[in-house]
Amino acid sequence: MAWRVGVDSGGTFTDICLFDDSSGQVDVWKVSSTPDDPSRGITQGVEEGLAQVAAKAGAVGYFGHGTTVGTNALIQHRGVKTGLIATDGFRDLLEIGRQKRPDLYDIQADKPETLVTRDMRIGVPERVRHDGAIELPLDEDAAREAVRKLRAAGVKAVAVAFLYSFVRTEHEKAVLRILAEEFPEAFVCASHEVAPEFREYERLSTVVVNAYLGPVMEGYIKRLAGRLADLGITAAPHLTQSNGGVISFEAAARLPVRTILSGPSTGVVAAQAIGRVAGLPNLITFDMGGTSTDVALLADGQCRLAGEATIHGYPIKAPMLDIHTVGAGGGSIAYVDNGGLLKVGPRSAGADPGPVAYGRGNAEPTVTDANVVLQTLNPTHLLGGRLPIRQDLAKTAIAGLAEKLGLDLMATAQGILSVVTANMAKAIRVISVQRGHDPRDYTLIAFGGAGPLHAVRLARELEMRQILVPRNPGILCAMGLLLTDLRADFATTKLLTLDADAAAPMVAAFRELEDRASQWFGAEDVAADARKIVRTVDMRYAGQNYEIAVPIASGPIAAATLKALADDFTAAHQRLYGFAAEGETVQLVTFRLEAAGLVAKASFAPRPHAGPDASAAVVGRREVWMPEAKGWVMCKIYDRTKLDAGNCIAGPAIVEQMDATTVVPPGWSARVEPYLNLILEAA
Amino acid sequence: MTVNAPSPGPVAVDPITVEVLGSAFASIAEEMGEALVRASHSTNIKERRDCSTALFDTRGNTLCQAEHIPMHLGSFIGIIPHILKRHPVAQMRPGDMFIGNDAYEGGGTHLPDIVIAEPIFFDGAIIAWAVNTAHHADFADRGHAHIYQEGLRIPPIRLYAAGELQKDVQELILLNCQVPRERLSDLRAQIAANRLGVQRMQALCAKYGASVVLAAGEALQDYAERKMRAGIAAIRDGIYRFTDRFDNPELDDDLTLSVEIEVRGDEMRLAFDGPPQVRAGVNMVYTALLSTVYYAVKSIVDPSILPNAGLARPLTVTAREGSVLNCVHPAAVNGRIATCQRVVDLIDGALAQAVPDQVTAAANGACASATFVGVHPADGRAWVYLETIGGGSGARAGKDGLDGVHVHMTNTSNLPAEALELEYPLTLLRYELIDDSGGGGAFCGGMGLRRVYRAEADCLVRVDGSRLHSSPWGLLGGKPGGRGAFRFGAGVAPFVQGKGQLRSGEIIEIMTPGAGGYGPPGDRDPGQVARDVAEQRISRDTARSVYGIDI
Repeated sequence: MAWRVGVDSGGTFTDICLFDDSSGQVDVWKVSSTPDDPSRGITQGVEEGLAQVAAKAGAVGYFGHGTTVGTNALIQHRGVKTGLIATDGFRDLLEIGRQKRPDLYDIQADKPETLVTRDMRIGVPERVRHDGAIELPLDEDAAREAVRKLRAAGVKAVAVAFLYSFVRTEHEKAVLRILAEEFPEAFVCASHEVAPEFREYERLSTVVVNAYLGPVMEGYIKRLAGRLADLGITAAPHLTQSNGGVISFEAAARLPVRTILSGPSTGVVAAQAIGRVAGLPNLITFDMGGTSTDVALLADGQCRLAGEATIHGYPIKAPMLDIHTVGAGGGSIAYVDNGGLLKVGPRSAGADPGPVAYGRGNAEPTVTDANVVLQTLNPTHLLGGRLPIRQDLAKTAIAGLAEKLGLDLMATAQGILSVVTANMAKAIRVISVQRGHDPRDYTLIAFGGAGPLHAVRLARELEMRQILVPRNPGILCAMGLLLTDLRADFATTKLLTLDADAAAPMVAAFRELEDRASQWFGAEDVAADARKIVRTVDMRYAGQNYEIAVPIASGPIAAATLKALADDFTAAHQRLYGFAAEGETVQLVTFRLEAAGLVAKASFAPRPHAGPDASAAVVGRREVWMPEAKGWVMCKIYDRTKLDAGNCIAGPAIVEQMDATTVVPPGWSARVEPYLNLILEAA
Repeated sequence: MTVNAPSPGPVAVDPITVEVLGSAFASIAEEMGEALVRASHSTNIKERRDCSTALFDTRGNTLCQAEHIPMHLGSFIGIIPHILKRHPVAQMRPGDMFIGNDAYEGGGTHLPDIVIAEPIFFDGAIIAWAVNTAHHADFADRGHAHIYQEGLRIPPIRLYAAGELQKDVQELILLNCQVPRERLSDLRAQIAANRLGVQRMQALCAKYGASVVLAAGEALQDYAERKMRAGIAAIRDGIYRFTDRFDNPELDDDLTLSVEIEVRGDEMRLAFDGPPQVRAGVNMVYTALLSTVYYAVKSIVDPSILPNAGLARPLTVTAREGSVLNCVHPAAVNGRIATCQRVVDLIDGALAQAVPDQVTAAANGACASATFVGVHPADGRAWVYLETIGGGSGARAGKDGLDGVHVHMTNTSNLPAEALELEYPLTLLRYELIDDSGGGGAFCGGMGLRRVYRAEADCLVRVDGSRLHSSPWGLLGGKPGGRGAFRFGAGVAPFVQGKGQLRSGEIIEIMTPGAGGYGPPGDRDPGQVARDVAEQRISRDTARSVYGIDI
């Protein structure tokens, strides 16, 4: 008997999801996080969780983990003292960036802190040309002197970034060698290892973030691996990366920059798995928490992989699921600005003191307070009775806003939801319409503590007609860890014109990537039949500088492959930009290979159909203020845990569970599908 | 027959609907901007994002602008009235697309900014306009004695009539461009961006009703006006004056520019003065002056004010007609950005007397640029490459200024060396901050930038900039920042009025100005001064002479 364990460690809670491979039993455990050293909370939670299901640590066959350790260290600037060795004349590039200021109009705005101070950035003479020619050989003595200086200054990590290292790696490799000789105890990385792609600033920023976080992540992983081993867990632990795949702890410690979006990406992976099982491959994910909301789009079960994103102000070139974040959640504060309009967020009341209705001293109304006033949220208690709710305080707070707006109390409460919904809709437009997808063709999958509460309003704003609320919306990320494949992405930049001559260099480029992938498969112990490879090429018209990723069918690269690439690129350009430039030269820029090691995943058993009658799950009634009726509507309250497959609910209704509330407004209905997901549809 | 939709009239919209539709307008303008950048071909747009997108109401008021470059607000302001002057609304059809660039007749502020505008029809009437502008790096190697030397002047004319491309017009324009292939691709990207804007606005009207959408547009302008008035009202009433000098490679003598700002209640009057317009490209048309004032006042008074036409209502802006700051036909205007930057410094300098915590010391006061023109050695095609280089931004109350950034009216990205060298026969040898270029003070001014190029093929070069003769001033005891300079490698013939030539292998170095410091240097934390020395931001000599600290 083997247990699969998924642990999602967030700022407030650590969620543990346990799955028994033999019986299909799923159990969930939640403990408070221990932010000073998250590995303590995790081990405690895992120990308690295993005790809960009476399992022994030795019975754990798989351990998957999503963490915010890297991202938090970056936000709070708690990385290590880092040095940089760069091409002479370019050491300030890290600070200059793209020479744009942080805000167009706000002259008080500051750039994000530069992660390596100017005295720890050392230029050494060397120069490679764009065609790979070496104009100036590396001055090894200068490099050695730079390393000694950084060592003497007490840096803990060193990043190496030279111009054109993606074309020729020798100079960076030579510095790595010198570092190994002179400064073996430092965490070191070079830009050609971390992000071998063109555009020097973004590559530089990436390798610096990697070095800055390296020792932090290494230390964390060591502590956690040690504690898990002490507990008796022998299975090799895995960590999620920003690309939605897992990677071994050892590999994660070397490339922490790849795990920056570890947390949110597990939610997307879980949504993907749930959508697959439920037969809904076209999804927009809506993960709404207390202070922020993450959205992503899955077309035909796949989330677009972005090659680059700016995370907390730092550009990072790494394969990342295309997740868009907005600073608005249940705790976001609503206010009337000096021009008389109602605004929501980005300031948040957080978990403590939290919304006004928690009665812990906050007097500024939040999104949650609006829901308490409208009674979409339970007006007396939440979290299954553990959290008392003060509706009177919420009413007073929102009445203050209403007076300033000249509206009545309920219109103001509803208005807060409309404004926050408009912010969310804007975020979803970025990942859908701006990428050429019509949201009306997608199902909204709502999770996180506040997702199911706001899902229908958001769907309406975007004219989406179907919503899926998973069985456990509050712990979906932990569950996602049990559904994730091993995954690594490899890329190389090589500028080619798409013509008959392109085939040979393309074959060579992919051969190199395949070699790197097989090494990785070997290191991760992936069996031959579990290895899966997907190839894509970033393409553009000659002269453009933004590329479109076009997948290549498996099999040898031949004339037909090139033809298909050309056609697919034209179609994608037409879809994204509304035109195709007939007759223009098409270029192949970056070749990418995604290697997946398929792991046996938790599989959930369908429930037999129990008939449409959901009356057994009705646990009460309450009046809820509905904008459709512009007034109070009596709603049945359903207990989610008592709903069974096939049950149907007609709106207006409210479905409550321990960590989430789902609103089914008039004109919408809900049904329970065989895997106990709730499907909401417009009539 | 077509008509403009009736004015919104009595339709009342509540403040929540206004906020929701405001989000939708912003989404549309941003989406237009993303589409334009991603589909464009020339480095100036695709990498440096020298373009902007907006929605206008039927009277030509900005409803919403995607925030790329403040200067472009001016390239937009005049376009709709100029279109309406020439083309009866009754003859407009869905799918019409107007193109224009002229500073006097085309709603632009200089000729490289080509504006494309499309009326948005809903239920048979025009309800708004989708507009965008992009800086086409073309019309290079020209004279700047008057506008006829600066490029092709295009009044607003139809590039598309009812969805049909007017090939004659397109051919005329492209024949006047040095790099027509890039122009064509960039124009296509501009057209695609407007098409998106039109579709999205139509969808919005279908959902909320055109009258609600239009009324929300009005309400958002009223809202911006209220915010602007609230911000001005918080400034002490009074008259504030400031004078500065302006130099430029094209000018033989420096110009004296000044402003008098009167704050009274919730209104502000800005009266500018400057010498008569000059036979050089530094003149500003009135719309350029307006956009500069809108930017500067918004940034000082309340940066969160929506960038729509409502913010202009409490402001009165005057400058003598025919002067450098309000030029008339046929003054040359190509390099007006440098002058605009100095106008922002004037406004900061004047309002520093009233609200010293809300302004900055003088920023680098320039938009240093280099334009390279040549012929590709490989295939004989012409190439034009333009880049603008940031510098220091002014120190603030309680904070140092930013190092090596674009300030005020411009905000374009640099081009990566790895992209630059792939496309043009140029090599970037250095790109770094200039030691000791930030003005000293309790808070230091930002540092200027050094960019050193080597030509790999013969080319013509034009450099532009300012603060070569005067220094960016400090505030409240802060010291001035470093000046800009152009330096040339061995063998380069002297440049005349910023123009010259590089032969293959020759080198040019551009140094941009730093920025002024804020507050007396003696108030700077000595630990921070030591840090500045350790990081080589200032020399030991400066530590001693400016801060009186021996390190």
